[in-house]
Amino acid sequence: MSENARLKFYCDDDRCIECHACDVGCAEAHELPAGISRRKVITMNEGIIGLEYSLSIACMHCTDAPCEQVCPTDCFYIREDGIVLHDKDKCIGCAYCLYACPFGAPQFPRDGAFAIKGVMDKCTMCAGGPEETNSHEEREKYGQNRISEGKVPICAAVCSTNALLVGDAQKISEVYRSRVLSRGHNHQASASPSGWNSAYGNK
Amino acid sequence: MKTKQILLILFTLSTFAFGANANSAIFGKDLLTNILGYDQVESLHLGYLFTLLQSTYFKPLFLGVLLGVPAVFFIHYMIIGPMIFSHDRKKIYVFSVFNRVIHSIAGVAFILLIPTGLVIMFGSTFGGGEFVRICKEIHAISTLLFIVSIVPMFFMWLRWMIPTSDDIKWMMILGGYLNKRKDPIPAGKFNAGQKMWYWIATLGGLVMILTGVAMYFQDFKIGILLENGISQIDFLRGSAIVHNILGMAVLALFLTHVYMSVFAIKGAIHSIVTGYKEEEEVEILHSTFYKELQEKGLIKEDKK
Amino acid sequence: MANTWGYGAMTNHFGDLLGYSKAIFMIGANSAVANPIGFKHMLQAKDRNNAKLIVIDPVYTKSAAKADHYLRIRTGTDVAFIYGLLHLIFKNGWEDESFIENRVYGIEDVKKEAKKWTPEKTADVTGIPADQIIQIAKLMATTKPATVVWALGITQHSTGTSNTRILPILQLVLGNMGKKGGGCNIIRGHDNVQGSTDMCCLADSLPGYYGLGEKSWQYFAKGWGVDYKWLQDRFYAPKWMNAKGFSLAKWWQGVLQEEKTYSSSPIRALWVQGTGISSMAMTSKVQEALNKLDLLVIAEPFVNEAAVMTNKTDGVYILPVATQFENEGVVVATNRTAQWRDRVVAPLYESKTDDEVMFEFAKRFGFYEEYTKAMKMDVVDGSLEVVKKEYFFADDAMNEIARIVKTIGLGGWTAARLREHQANWHLFDPLTLKGRGKVKGQYYGLPWPSWDTKHPGSPILYNVDEKVNEGGMGFRNRFGLEHKGHDLLASDAVTIKGSKIKGGYPEITAGNIEKVLGITLNEEEKSKIGANWKVDFSGIIQEKCREAGVAPYGNAKARTIVWTFPDEVPIHREPIHSPRQDLVRMHPTYEDQTNNFRVDVKFKSEQNAQDWSKDFPTMLVTKRVVNLSGAGMLERTSKYLSHITPDMFANIHPDLAADHDIRDGDDMWLHAPQGTKIKVKAIYSPSVTPDRIALPYNFAGMMQGVDLSANYPEGTKPYTIGESSNTITNYGFDIITQIPEFNAGLCRVEKA
Repeated sequence: MSENARLKFYCDDDRCIECHACDVGCAEAHELPAGISRRKVITMNEGIIGLEYSLSIACMHCTDAPCEQVCPTDCFYIREDGIVLHDKDKCIGCAYCLYACPFGAPQFPRDGAFAIKGVMDKCTMCAGGPEETNSHEEREKYGQNRISEGKVPICAAVCSTNALLVGDAQKISEVYRSRVLSRGHNHQASASPSGWNSAYGNK
Repeated sequence: MKTKQILLILFTLSTFAFGANANSAIFGKDLLTNILGYDQVESLHLGYLFTLLQSTYFKPLFLGVLLGVPAVFFIHYMIIGPMIFSHDRKKIYVFSVFNRVIHSIAGVAFILLIPTGLVIMFGSTFGGGEFVRICKEIHAISTLLFIVSIVPMFFMWLRWMIPTSDDIKWMMILGGYLNKRKDPIPAGKFNAGQKMWYWIATLGGLVMILTGVAMYFQDFKIGILLENGISQIDFLRGSAIVHNILGMAVLALFLTHVYMSVFAIKGAIHSIVTGYKEEEEVEILHSTFYKELQEKGLIKEDKK
Repeated sequence: MANTWGYGAMTNHFGDLLGYSKAIFMIGANSAVANPIGFKHMLQAKDRNNAKLIVIDPVYTKSAAKADHYLRIRTGTDVAFIYGLLHLIFKNGWEDESFIENRVYGIEDVKKEAKKWTPEKTADVTGIPADQIIQIAKLMATTKPATVVWALGITQHSTGTSNTRILPILQLVLGNMGKKGGGCNIIRGHDNVQGSTDMCCLADSLPGYYGLGEKSWQYFAKGWGVDYKWLQDRFYAPKWMNAKGFSLAKWWQGVLQEEKTYSSSPIRALWVQGTGISSMAMTSKVQEALNKLDLLVIAEPFVNEAAVMTNKTDGVYILPVATQFENEGVVVATNRTAQWRDRVVAPLYESKTDDEVMFEFAKRFGFYEEYTKAMKMDVVDGSLEVVKKEYFFADDAMNEIARIVKTIGLGGWTAARLREHQANWHLFDPLTLKGRGKVKGQYYGLPWPSWDTKHPGSPILYNVDEKVNEGGMGFRNRFGLEHKGHDLLASDAVTIKGSKIKGGYPEITAGNIEKVLGITLNEEEKSKIGANWKVDFSGIIQEKCREAGVAPYGNAKARTIVWTFPDEVPIHREPIHSPRQDLVRMHPTYEDQTNNFRVDVKFKSEQNAQDWSKDFPTMLVTKRVVNLSGAGMLERTSKYLSHITPDMFANIHPDLAADHDIRDGDDMWLHAPQGTKIKVKAIYSPSVTPDRIALPYNFAGMMQGVDLSANYPEGTKPYTIGESSNTITNYGFDIITQIPEFNAGLCRVEKA
């Protein structure tokens, strides 16, 4: 990976078959409580001939992350490689990041009495958190840190059909572009879902 | 055996408590529709708006209010100074026990809500984390106190808070606070300034409660909104924007109210403690009200 | 399929599909849900080769969502549909005449039947519009190579055997057999189902598809080093040695004895190991049978819900058995390849591996020595001998299999070779399976037949363009040398590359080897040689065949006529419970069957008992969900997988639901013709049309509305339980295999 690499996700909706390997893999790898899915798989137009498609969504690790912009406690930090992470110790669970996020990535597990919102949890692109890399605390709070070991995030690693791509934005664009060119279209029903421009700019 | 069963039941039940299941109003089946809607021309673009306002404007504006309003009053105090009314004349009974109790509860609520709200707002200055989280919970719990006091307050003073022609005159002379003379000021039992504060505190307070509660509980369905095409997440974004902007007004008027009742009019604070106002204060600052009382022959001899 | 050309397994493989197929005809399969990784290959084929994916299914499945062409078919009308295609193919002269002429027997009978199936008639029976039928026929005819993919949607019918014959016939007619990118790719589901099929854990054959005849038993007695008489004495009487046992579909009749059975005695004890019998049809009958047993033993890693269904308080034992991660040995993939698997962790807690369980019980039952003898044997100078004192599991077990199973050519599957493949995965090409470097010339996993230890495996079956010693072969000579005066061997034009013999030749026996191969055997060879290629421990037949470049199983024609079956060529028969009474009269099911797998089976009498469609107007389709497999006992103990489908449900069209005042998410009752019912959640979905509902079969733990939670041993209840769909899947069994008719039936919907 080059020094200028920015890591991104892309889910090819012509390949996604809603097999849930990504969201179950993520939940298992990070031992999340049931109901907190850092990654979700959604199907649109289910059962409608010719229009059905599925998509896997998690934090998009935006370059100009709106979550980071609005946090009152400044608990976000964006790594040089583009991964957007946050510090659960600083987080107060106010949910501003959720309001700002176009993709609904931040979630708030309800723990404790009175269903008090806990601190925010979201996809870390398997890059852990501010705690010491691969320490027990990091694993407990944020889940596995695969990036530090040079491994691919678990969701893309287990994707059955290589729908979910992760890696340097440049490389992903190339892969997707070559698929689109050989298919002759980029999405069954219409142009790429709007909002993707927010995440991917004009690549 | 029983504990295991209980634990199992609790565990199963707790899975319903967690967010992000198919029944979630935010993360459920509508997730993708909401995402697609974010950028569409017809959408409210509240996401953009919220991000812009929260990242760039809210903090400076709040800081402006927090520092600017007291600064202005400080200058006023230095230049013009407080109004001093005689304590030797009669005392007029203006606030019943009920009024005072409700007001003090409301006062306590505000004293909890406003600083904690500011701590949340400026969380990074306080290092985030446990301290700010506790403030957030205090902010939420104080809402209960707030509800309990604001609702009676609305009804108990409603009659006197309806805007009248006096209020326009009052506004034009800025309540007479710009000079040291003691000319009679056109105002009923409550002047325009107090009325502004009343309406912001009650109706505004109600909006603050609703938006705050929405943000607190976050994941619930409101049928009527959904039918009108407003998704839960847009409702939350709107709530956050309104809560912040209205919060600025609440802060500004709260600071004003504190200045007025504690500093600008010497001894004014006693009226909300004992229930009695100095006769001269009423005669000057609430001249219309004084005239009414005179006509009704309600100016009694002092009870002391 | 085996009855058409010799072997009944996937003929090509996924890498081949990805590399070469230009059209993928998927019928009665839902790979996106059942084999997501396999489906990836199809999506990649679409992307890279512009391959066309055609999906034929009663429900608009996840696979259908990715199809270029989706055809909604009525359940149980697959034979009619294929005839509709064949009609057009023959009419337009699109068939591969030379292939048929040289390698297929019996096409005239097929042509005669196909003539009846005009597009209009086919559309009426199948529900697929006529113009779609024409479009797909043209596409299949003009796109080469095309592959056909199917799974349980084809086999699980009363006419399953006809279904699995008509599809090979289609491929034979189109000339797609024995070619790269073509073939019949039947997808096996569960990991190592192919392996268990090859070892024939069935009631009608010995391992390796050997029959139950005396010669087979003698061969195995020899291979196992035991006395034939001793084996015979294990049976109540000698005749039972050669009789089929009970089937998994109807064993319960052996317990309940409500109808006539043909057995030495009723069934009193049941041992279940490695299968979820709650995923079998007629669950209520299964439950009754379980209650009546004297002894029920379940050997599983998870609590098999059979233990929960029964109300027996005594005589039920659950033995904890190790999972795949705690086991070592060979698993066989759907494409006939063997992969050696290492153990990841030793069996946890008190669980034991399957082999350990079986060996321990063998010791206690008193046949351990006989049971394990073959693992200590080998062929020395052409004869079998005991060569060691201790066996080493699993290597010696694998070697035993390689030594004995010749029918499907497992001779090349020695433990050493398979371990070498496992150690060198990286040296094999994913598209062609070809190895390089130290495994050069071999195909990954040595797809069977791999005739001997030099043989590289046969990735594409029936390919005459490859040498036999490099994986090529013709169709198997399994059905004799002639039928009604027609020669059943391949014509002279079909010479397998590098073969000494021109054209077709019979399967090699001791009697014909000299004549067919044009060789002479010496005295020693004559004394040691086995009767035929399937029972030759000496290895001489294979040796000579190798020298001649000949496949020991012959080079014959595929046949479209199976003269031992009730339907010589496949014909359309309505499912036992059909929504179309008019078609039932025109295309009735079979006559009632006497004594198949020791029970009688009703066909016509059930179909004609009444007009079922009056009281049960809705068609019933069972389906897979991606997060649960089989009886679901494993997956429903995972909280994340259970979270995806927290309730047992049925997909119902909003219009049908509205007719019964059922809202999305409401509970509803589904009633079956045999009087059973289940309560499930209704989930609106336009993937089904208002005349049918679809439901998954992977739940258990509730029975006809009764919650069986209390029956789970403490701490073993899964996160989700629900009704088993098989409580209402209708009575109906395939005429040959007795597989239940899970995928066609009727029910009645009722608001709960």
